[in-house]
Amino acid sequence: MTYLQARGVVRAYGRTPALRGVTLDVAEGEIVAVTGPSGCGRSTLLHCLAGILRPDAGQVTWRGERIDGWSEAARSRLRRTEFGVLFQFGQLVAELTAAENVALPLLLAGTGRREARTAALTWLERLGVAEVADVRPGEMSGGQQQRCATARALVTEPRVLFADEPTGALDTLAGEQVLTHLVRLARDQHTTVVLVTHEPRVAGYADREVMLRDGVVDHSGLGLDASLPGGHR
Amino acid sequence: MRPAALLRLALAGTRTDGARVALTALSATLATLSGLAALTVLAVVKPPGDARAESVQYTNALLREPGLRPGVAFALLMLMVPVLGLAGQCARLGAPARDRRLAALRLAGATPGEVTRIAALETGLASLLGTLAGLAVHLIGRRLLHRPGPDGRLALPTDVQPAPAAVAAVVIGLPLAAALVSALLLRRVTTTPFGVVRRARARAPWPWPGLLILVGLAMFAAFRPVGLWYERRHAEPPLWLLPALLIVGSLAAMVGVVAGTGWISHTTGRLLHRYARRPAALLAARRLTADPWAGSRTFAALLAALIFGAGAAGIRADFLATIELHRRIGGGMGASDAFYLRAMDLVDLTVAVAMAIAAGGLLVAVVEGITARRRAYAALVATGVPRATIGRSLLWQSLAPAVPAIGLALAVGYLLVRGVYPAPSGGGYPEEICDAGRQLCGDPLTRAQHTRTEWVPKVTVPPDVPWEHLAWFAAGGLAAVLLTVGVGLLFLRAGATVEELRTT
Repeated sequence: MTYLQARGVVRAYGRTPALRGVTLDVAEGEIVAVTGPSGCGRSTLLHCLAGILRPDAGQVTWRGERIDGWSEAARSRLRRTEFGVLFQFGQLVAELTAAENVALPLLLAGTGRREARTAALTWLERLGVAEVADVRPGEMSGGQQQRCATARALVTEPRVLFADEPTGALDTLAGEQVLTHLVRLARDQHTTVVLVTHEPRVAGYADREVMLRDGVVDHSGLGLDASLPGGHR
Repeated sequence: MRPAALLRLALAGTRTDGARVALTALSATLATLSGLAALTVLAVVKPPGDARAESVQYTNALLREPGLRPGVAFALLMLMVPVLGLAGQCARLGAPARDRRLAALRLAGATPGEVTRIAALETGLASLLGTLAGLAVHLIGRRLLHRPGPDGRLALPTDVQPAPAAVAAVVIGLPLAAALVSALLLRRVTTTPFGVVRRARARAPWPWPGLLILVGLAMFAAFRPVGLWYERRHAEPPLWLLPALLIVGSLAAMVGVVAGTGWISHTTGRLLHRYARRPAALLAARRLTADPWAGSRTFAALLAALIFGAGAAGIRADFLATIELHRRIGGGMGASDAFYLRAMDLVDLTVAVAMAIAAGGLLVAVVEGITARRRAYAALVATGVPRATIGRSLLWQSLAPAVPAIGLALAVGYLLVRGVYPAPSGGGYPEEICDAGRQLCGDPLTRAQHTRTEWVPKVTVPPDVPWEHLAWFAAGGLAAVLLTVGVGLLFLRAGATVEELRTT
């Protein structure tokens, strides 16, 4: 059975179509990179798969169950328990320390404060940022922030991790550190990863690359060429 | 930069900037109206004669009696406090968008000084627009409301006009002050071509505002002893001394309470963090400790109104105690009792209006806070954090410092008045009583036979603490906080959408 599936997903912003019938299957434990040029609908597809957005048409199923018709509360619960979400930036709460940020999903799930902190410290250590546990995001480097965000996305040991341009705001070295940790931990936990990126280098970390173009999956198999402006072939 | 270019850039901006300018102008209009109303009351000419001679051309005793007019003017001026608080909150509306605009101007080559002047000019011009509108409304309203009754008397002082210099001071002084304050506030802000950097105060607030409150209370408490000191020496205190004690004392107490709210926010944040078990409380606790001065800024006008209200409740309690005293020992104020109590109803109404205006400022602050953080909220919602959790955190963040701050404001307001007014007391003297009828008592020859001397015992009636009134004010303050957070949550729903995550 396909783990996560999109069937003919259509989504528009006003009159501007973002997805025009995307079909995609993701297997359990697989790391899939969704790539494509700017404005091709990568982030919109990720948001639909994660239940953040409802598609205008088509279906999204998770372990055989349609989730696109679920209420917002039910989809929020799904994201809190089964999914982890990682964004390019803006995901850490500025006033909370790194450990508190990582512990937040556990606290939301009802875990006690002490246990949540212990788990958060463990994850920060796994991601190599234990030293910033009691530091607020404003005092961390971009790479440290993103590793904290990765720890927060993984702390609930989600079945699927959705990462939207996770290294988009980082320099090459920091980006590679984040990706190395993310992929290693995902494989250790057998976590499925859907990774949205416009960088072929980042897509190289995935098991499979799916390319979008103008809101549909590009089956030409030519992929992106970073040497051309905007990633166009 | 040429003045025309400066003006053009000051008035450029988005719809949010337009809303900020409009709200700033509206606040300035309201402030001008209350300022001009106070000046008009003070402009009423005292008729020749003794100091108590009444201005009989008015129907309302509040305007007729010369001793009451300064109080009316003071109450009208007090209305300016929440209005100016509202203006302060409005100045923060759309701050992130304005910051980006100012940064873009720096990128285009504007100097830091020019950027500061642009921001100050925007506030100054908006305020000037408001004060001119306020002056127009005042002049038109004066003509429309000038309706002498059949006996030729007036309900409002529409027959007098404040001195032109005083009017100019309000109409021009307010925008100048607003621009100056805006420039001063930007001292802590460095606008770089890449964005705006605010130098946050790193250290936790100290409890020094407590000292200011004590100074304020001490000055009020010194009012009577100072007066008695001069009386015992058959001397008059300098004209400025007693009013200065009250004005400086009330300002010290007010600044103490408002600044003390920063310390209260920080302390409640720390306590909440220690005992918080749920994410909403934890988020609120961290926000309170991260920016404790937000509470001071947000609640300043509301707290000032509550101090005034609690003081008014204290004065009312004193009136009631005086009425009770007169009932016990005989005599009394008679018809004036009811008049004074009616006057206190008007003061309560003023406080209610002030609280409503302050609630407007509170709403602007809550909405602005949500708008500024909408991206962070959108990210939280996207990761599965229920909006209800964020809503509860906002509620905690507002109520945790508001409850003790409202309590402090009411206590300080009441204690200030108690310091000035001692418990009313009377009696302690002999009284001759003749109960043989008017004829016998009126005749000096027979009066002595029917007259007895009775000792009127000394009676002191300590005023009751006006718990009911104070509770109403506390409930009003909390209702204002709850209502504004409730309305603000509607903006949270609209603001924390996934579209925010698409904005770079």
